Amino acid sequence: MKKLVALLIALAMLLACVGALAETVTEIPRNETLYFAGQQWGTVASWNPIGVNQNNSMAIAGNEGGYRTLVWETLYMYNPLDGGLYPLLADGEYAWNEDMTELTVKIKEAAKWNDGTPVTADDVKATWDVGLYLGNSTGNGYKDFVAGIEVIDAKTLKIVSVKNAEGAPANPLKLLDFISGTPIVQGAWIESVKAAFGDDVAAIQTYTGMEDGAFVVPHSGPYTRYYDDDQKVILVRDDNYWGQDASMWGKLPVPKYIGHAMYADNPAGDAALKAGEVDVSQQFISNVQDLWLKDELPISTYYEEAPYGLCLTMPTGWYNLNLPVLQIPAVRKAIAIAVDYDAIIASAMTNQSPSFADVPRSLMNPTPGEQALYDHEAVKDLQWAGLDIEGAKAMLDEAGIVDADGDGWREYNGEKISLNAVCPQGWTDWEASMEIVAAAGEKIGIEITTLFPTADQYYTVFTSPVQTEYAIFMWSPAAASPSQPWGRVYGLMSSSFKGIENNWSGNFGQYENAEVDEILAKIPTMSDENEIKAAYTRLVEIYLTEVPSFSLMYRPSVFCTYNETVWTNFPSDDGRNIPPLDCTDGYGIAALYDLELVGE
Amino acid sequence: MRHMIRNVFHSPKFVWGFGIFVFILIFCIVYPLFNPGNPLEMLQVGGFAAPGTYVNVYDTVAADINKEETLKIKFRLPGADEKRLESVLSADDRNTMLKFLAKVGVDTSEVDVEDLDQLLELWEKYFDPTSQPKGITRADWNKYKRINNAINRISSTDRRSVSEKDQDGQMAAVGDFSSIDYVSVDEVANHITLPLGTDNFGRDMLKELVSATLTSVEMGFIAGTVATIIGLLFGLLAGYVGGVLDDIITFITNLFTVIPGFVLLILISFSIGQEQRGVTTVALVIGLTGWTWTARSVRSQVISLRNRDHVNLSKLSGHSLFRIILSDILPYIMSYVVMAFILQVSSGILSEAQLSLLGLGPKSTETPTLGLMMNWSMLYKAHTSGYWWAYFPIILTIAGVSFSLNLMNTGLDQVFNPALRD
Repeated sequence: MKKLVALLIALAMLLACVGALAETVTEIPRNETLYFAGQQWGTVASWNPIGVNQNNSMAIAGNEGGYRTLVWETLYMYNPLDGGLYPLLADGEYAWNEDMTELTVKIKEAAKWNDGTPVTADDVKATWDVGLYLGNSTGNGYKDFVAGIEVIDAKTLKIVSVKNAEGAPANPLKLLDFISGTPIVQGAWIESVKAAFGDDVAAIQTYTGMEDGAFVVPHSGPYTRYYDDDQKVILVRDDNYWGQDASMWGKLPVPKYIGHAMYADNPAGDAALKAGEVDVSQQFISNVQDLWLKDELPISTYYEEAPYGLCLTMPTGWYNLNLPVLQIPAVRKAIAIAVDYDAIIASAMTNQSPSFADVPRSLMNPTPGEQALYDHEAVKDLQWAGLDIEGAKAMLDEAGIVDADGDGWREYNGEKISLNAVCPQGWTDWEASMEIVAAAGEKIGIEITTLFPTADQYYTVFTSPVQTEYAIFMWSPAAASPSQPWGRVYGLMSSSFKGIENNWSGNFGQYENAEVDEILAKIPTMSDENEIKAAYTRLVEIYLTEVPSFSLMYRPSVFCTYNETVWTNFPSDDGRNIPPLDCTDGYGIAALYDLELVGE
Repeated sequence: MRHMIRNVFHSPKFVWGFGIFVFILIFCIVYPLFNPGNPLEMLQVGGFAAPGTYVNVYDTVAADINKEETLKIKFRLPGADEKRLESVLSADDRNTMLKFLAKVGVDTSEVDVEDLDQLLELWEKYFDPTSQPKGITRADWNKYKRINNAINRISSTDRRSVSEKDQDGQMAAVGDFSSIDYVSVDEVANHITLPLGTDNFGRDMLKELVSATLTSVEMGFIAGTVATIIGLLFGLLAGYVGGVLDDIITFITNLFTVIPGFVLLILISFSIGQEQRGVTTVALVIGLTGWTWTARSVRSQVISLRNRDHVNLSKLSGHSLFRIILSDILPYIMSYVVMAFILQVSSGILSEAQLSLLGLGPKSTETPTLGLMMNWSMLYKAHTSGYWWAYFPIILTIAGVSFSLNLMNTGLDQVFNPALRD
């Protein structure tokens, strides 16, 4: 009898569990939910927009290409397709003063917080001030560029730039990054948090934004928190969202819910996409075309043909100039021109990148906006498409780097040149790229072996300014934002990163060129288009001659693959000018307002 | 000795195992003679070409137009036209066309999929590639557009011509061919047969597999030899000498037995770092962690031999320790040691595969091994993408090698072990 009771109790508990589970799963209808994959890894840490380490990519994520404005909104939305800034909270165009030290922005009359109070200039100022006070990503990211924010009236504000010794603005381009990359938070709420925690900065940084299981932070975006645990995150539409005003979108975004299940790894996310459980996947899928050509699944990408996505960055092989042999430009260029880039693009990217014959190498990403920034004819003779073994050999011979002892390997100062090509272990496409670089070395008589340390080991070494362990190593420069390509070029060549400990920002190979630094300092305040073009052309010329690093492929900053089992009318190369930024980032969020259910 | 070998070769299990192993080895040695070259050369731009023969398109056309006398031979093969049509517009595609027509409101009950003319006529009438009708997903629309492109490629003429751009940039016809012209594959300057296709880097799978098998067998032998020598030495000393030495050796052996060998292997491989991980180093590491069970069983065998009369006789005759071990004990356990060695080789090969699969195997640029090949094919999701040729032959080879070694071991066991002898 006892056994029976125990069994019954156990059964009842099991049923209760299953019931509870079924309840949460069935709560949100599939045809009102847009599911994502490849964004959120692990449990959400906090819903606090002014905190740090939130690990909350559906709500708080400053991706390259645009800020994610589902919950908190930015003043402007960036569109990498045309380089434009589209007003969100802001009203109309921003205005510069004469010497580009002040940027005036108006805020829309209709813009409101979800508690009904209007978004004001004071909120922007409070967001900036608290960012600086707490040292969060807003504060740290812009403290070298933004001196402060002046409130002119309730709906008008002025962003004042940091000035250098000559009184010129530090970098006006960064102010444009600021207005498109900073989520605006309600000033009154910031005050209440400060009042609650006092001077305890760490407590504010780690505050979760949740009180008794309820999400309490005011926000202006179209979605709010609905549910999150270690399995999933769900956002729900705020039907009182201010953006349905005619001055903004004029309607609500179509999906009622935004969902993201936590997948263990990429293959799990891919499986869910194939099964139609995921609508938008931000994962690199090798041979993505097989999904529709072979598997006949209702899956599509932004472009119908390769490269399928919008390539905004170029993963780069950096030369370590701490090594004497790599201080010789001829060696750097010889290796770079011998590499089989078509093989890298075919193997690592499964052709989801334009080739260097299609988009000749420079400092620019393949978007038309950036490509127009340098004179293609002027640097034509310097650009290479790769696999030029004879040219590389001749270059090395000419530089006196020859194989004197006849063992098949060239020597420098009497010693066989032996380099390594390094990237973190498990980063498959990068590993393949390094293998192909190593294969090129063999063909021109320079021994290159691959080395794949664990990621944390790799981070420690490659960010160190004095390391001599890695000879050729991989990292991506900046992708796209209003301050590009300037920021990318700065990261690739500026000597300001030379000698910096824990350098994550650029010039990992310790390159130095005074002329480059001088041009880079001038570009941000240039306004004449021809002058800017001449400056960039000169930089491309230097980059391709001195080869401090070399692009290996072009690559999207975010991947974006759609499954049209439930939703359709995703952005594509269809003239709507909506970038493939996962329907959530920057101007990419415009896609949410155009979605349609399949079969309706 | 000869008698023993004859006995061994009378065991069908051993003969089978030996046969398979030797066949694999001979194939691996002979194949590179017919297909020489660097097994790691990336032949294909890209990867995962399916097994088959690839004929150069450029040369196929050139084989016709570049030569004085015509090489074309005319065949009228039955069903050629149908096959040609099927390769451009498959039956599935035609059904998809029907689906589209139904979607835009055509009554398809009267339409016959086999009647291509009728289908094409309707398609031409209703399909406009420039305007996507409402209610059709982009994925479907892309598919319709692909079919439309295919339809445009269906040629109604029997002849096609080849044109070249001349110096003025004008296209000029340089040759033509009809739908019944054939050229022998031998006349085409470049063609390649890839019995097992290519891997993710576009390397010839079979060539790489052959080279990898030899390397892996070599690693297995090194690992097996090292493990057997260490195990044998410890086992003999512990078993024969006994006393404190036995205690110490047993202690060390037990210590290594309780730490899972594979975990130890992972830790050591990881700590020596990838730069140092050559083929020999990894093989040595595998050998150094795999000796324990050989040591234990040799020890117990030696203990049972230690007090035999002939051993005592040797002792009384004043023979040295090593002479006794070598001439009075070792021959009695030799058959057992050979069997243990074979198993060690087999487990060495498996360990390499396991280690490499975890990315802790030998450096990957220098020589291919079975484990490294598995590692790359797994990293490139060959198993979920249906590229069976990139992983299945490797599994089969690993299985074949270790199966043959185990079969040899079982065969030997039947010959040497009185309890199993029939």
